Amino acid sequence: MNNFYGFTGKIARIDLSSGSVTTITPPEEVYRKYLGGWAMGMYFLIKEGLAEPDKQALGPDNMLQLLVGPVTGIAPNPRTAIVTKSPYGFNCITFCGGQGGANLKFAGWDGLQIVGKADKPVYLAVIDDHIEIRSAEAFWGMGTEEAEIEMRKNVLAPLEVSGSTLAESDMIKKWAKLRPPRKQGIGGKRLASAWVIGPAGENGVWFANMVTEGARAHGRYGSGAVAGSKNLKGIVVRGTRGQKFADKQKFLRLMNNIQKREGKSHFWRTYGTAGASTREANIVGGYPIRNWQWESWADPKTVKTLSGPFVDQLSFARKQACPGCALHCMYPARVTSENPLLDQTITDMPDWEAMGMVGGNIGYLEATGTDPGDPYTGTFDDMTENASKTQYTTWLSDNAGMDFIEGGALVGLLMELRQRALVEPADLDGIDPGWGDLESVKAIFEKIIYRKGIGRILGKGVYETARYLSKKKDNGAIMDYCMTGKRYAQPAHGTRSNHDRNALDYVTVVRPCEHTGGGSAAFRKTPIDYEGAVEGQNLNAAINSMIYCLFASGFWGDEGNLELLKAVTGWSDFNKKALLEVGERAYALSRLFNLRSQNIKEPREEWDSPKMFPGRWFKEPLPTGPFKGKTAFDGDIARLFDESLPKYWKQRGWSPDRGIPEKEKLEKLDIAQIAEDIAAKLRS
Amino acid sequence: MDNGNQKEQISELKSQFQKGAISRREFLRMLTALGISVSAAGVFMDAAAAASDKTDDSEPKSGYTILFDPAKCTGCMACAVACAEKHMKAIAPEEARHTINLEFSRIRPMRFQFVDFVNVCQYCELIKWAEGSEQHPCEAVCPTAALHRVKAGDGEEGLTGMGYMTVDRDRCLGINDCGRCLEVCEEQFGSGISFDPIEGKAQVCTRCGGDPECVKACPEGALAFIPVQVNGRYYANSPDHAAELLYKKMFNVEREL
Repeated sequence: MNNFYGFTGKIARIDLSSGSVTTITPPEEVYRKYLGGWAMGMYFLIKEGLAEPDKQALGPDNMLQLLVGPVTGIAPNPRTAIVTKSPYGFNCITFCGGQGGANLKFAGWDGLQIVGKADKPVYLAVIDDHIEIRSAEAFWGMGTEEAEIEMRKNVLAPLEVSGSTLAESDMIKKWAKLRPPRKQGIGGKRLASAWVIGPAGENGVWFANMVTEGARAHGRYGSGAVAGSKNLKGIVVRGTRGQKFADKQKFLRLMNNIQKREGKSHFWRTYGTAGASTREANIVGGYPIRNWQWESWADPKTVKTLSGPFVDQLSFARKQACPGCALHCMYPARVTSENPLLDQTITDMPDWEAMGMVGGNIGYLEATGTDPGDPYTGTFDDMTENASKTQYTTWLSDNAGMDFIEGGALVGLLMELRQRALVEPADLDGIDPGWGDLESVKAIFEKIIYRKGIGRILGKGVYETARYLSKKKDNGAIMDYCMTGKRYAQPAHGTRSNHDRNALDYVTVVRPCEHTGGGSAAFRKTPIDYEGAVEGQNLNAAINSMIYCLFASGFWGDEGNLELLKAVTGWSDFNKKALLEVGERAYALSRLFNLRSQNIKEPREEWDSPKMFPGRWFKEPLPTGPFKGKTAFDGDIARLFDESLPKYWKQRGWSPDRGIPEKEKLEKLDIAQIAEDIAAKLRS
Repeated sequence: MDNGNQKEQISELKSQFQKGAISRREFLRMLTALGISVSAAGVFMDAAAAASDKTDDSEPKSGYTILFDPAKCTGCMACAVACAEKHMKAIAPEEARHTINLEFSRIRPMRFQFVDFVNVCQYCELIKWAEGSEQHPCEAVCPTAALHRVKAGDGEEGLTGMGYMTVDRDRCLGINDCGRCLEVCEEQFGSGISFDPIEGKAQVCTRCGGDPECVKACPEGALAFIPVQVNGRYYANSPDHAAELLYKKMFNVEREL
């Protein structure tokens, strides 16, 4: 067995069809090349042959990987990755915070690979080396919150379980008489962590996710649907082995430095990402409003409803951190409302993406009868009620185990189609979604979660819904309102002002239309700094392989990325170049995977094409705000796709005509062995 | 008793208390023996403690307890890392050369849904007039007297002593053969006992001999080391019950956790 620091050297492979559990021990070379998380996940996914288009994401062949990395565990900001094939056909690479990653490391695993399909609902109980597949029939159908609470109760380490030994005679007589031993013993501690799916995952909603700690989600690309397709309700992990460091004292010192820097970051420590709403989004144009028809409200009072200070004063109950993190960006909140539906909702925040996607995007903020270009005419009570609506919708998504970015974009699409009278209530099982109408949001969500009626289509996400309605109504214009990039919803960062995201950023990220891709500042430069952009993306992918939180990357810097990593692993020769190469490998493999798994012959036609992105970015000028009149890339679609994109590919060492990594590049990255076959097929 | 002599005696007691030579309980008892009312003695004691705080903050303190503020705590586990690191080194120096293992921590934040509860021994004491003893309950049921208090002056500086409990690992029978301390704690009080993952011997918070590492490590100021105000048993709850109380308090909703 490998004797590693930072890693455990073991990955468990669980076959739910046969019920077998085996151990994989990758050689050190694999760890050095891929670290963990994203890069390692893609390596195994391609090795498993899942890039082949005939391998179904929701079939037993697919492999759900829950992975950690060298700095997951006791570290400043650890995270976990889920890497699998998405129900959308491309890769599903999705990250999450919480304590679970540390627990998995402490249990002695660098990851879990789950293949096959169980006959009946099951969950995995991982207690150190011991991995059990247990019945989850009692938990099937539960929301994520309840399922997590119940499942964790059942997973105790041997250290917490003890037979009853206490007798009255052990106690002082007077005491024993008052309070004789009741032989009830143990079980009040909760040291296990769980990832669970909700009804959305059980019912195969394409954008269902896996949730931990009530509201932290491996949010995007459908990890929950993959788990659901395997009849896997959850994974519960309790580790008692601790974590090994090559140079523990150095590690502790560097960890402390990072935590001290984080402790001074008042942006995160005040409202978390909720602070972005009024500080940046409504000013620079990046607040999704009514399916992106607007990106900032004309009246600054409107946005106050969903701003950090307002929701904090209204509802934040406390703050919560991932292990070792001094940023504590999550704020559990309590909703109080006269509306019994909203009252007593307990959820997290809303964070920035929720404020955008299930707030502004579905029209919760404006007063009835006005639009975002009008002065705010609502009352103070309306504001509190509208904020609560977003919090309720966040909860609805989290508890169902569903990506609220895709969900919010989907509702936004339907509302805009109704606004423009392009669909009828009859097309939506009688639902008539008007902007900000909570009842119809709830009705649509229920259709999706339980895949009822129109929910069978809606459960496939925004793009498929738009296509379906476009075909049904025989109206191509419907696709103009589909706010997706490469068939997945645009998150709450706008492209038109070029002060939030540059359109090329969204076009090039290999996790379709992600907003956390790195290198954003370089993309926004004029002229675009291709070298900086590519390096930013590579660093981002490397960080997501280490694997720690992007919010913290500024506080880590090279000291954290290299020195801390070296203190953990003991790889004294590991340098910046090696780190960036991990990210470059992740990028190349993910790109090849996306093209091959969707059987794309002509990327410029089928994938990296203007057709895959919203026309609104380029054709509709921003109607309000300081960047009124701006469009993405100044509306120059041809320059983006015919000039800038090939330049970007060239910078990467990918072919400028199709964006296929060149053979020399793959050889240089030492991944030709697993990737050249696929690349050659795509080149021909 | 003449007044001058009483003042002198009080001053002597104060200095002994500040040095940790006598426990809070003894201090209180001796003051009342000098004819000072219980409430007035309490004021004396706090003043003495405050004075001792002023003189030297890092001086180990006797008769103190650890309280956590759930509104400030973020559940970041810095306390557990600091505790585990300190105590693992003491118990298993060889294993601790490269490893940090939170199972060695005697303070454990536990994440329930949206609430974090920091579980640490509250130093419950039995009540003489009701239960016939003043021992700690775990101490009372330990068949080998492995769980015991370490007098001021004894123990290892920064680790044990100043009247706080510790476990004699040679005498402890371990989780596989005994577990009475754990059972009585979890059944009737809180959940202050844990077991090390190597030998399965009992572990209890020693308050680091009066200068706890966890309190110093907390980045949020959520842990306080303060003079005992009431018998710790009135703070102690099993973590699930404590979390349910917190949940109700913070969110105004009852939920089984």
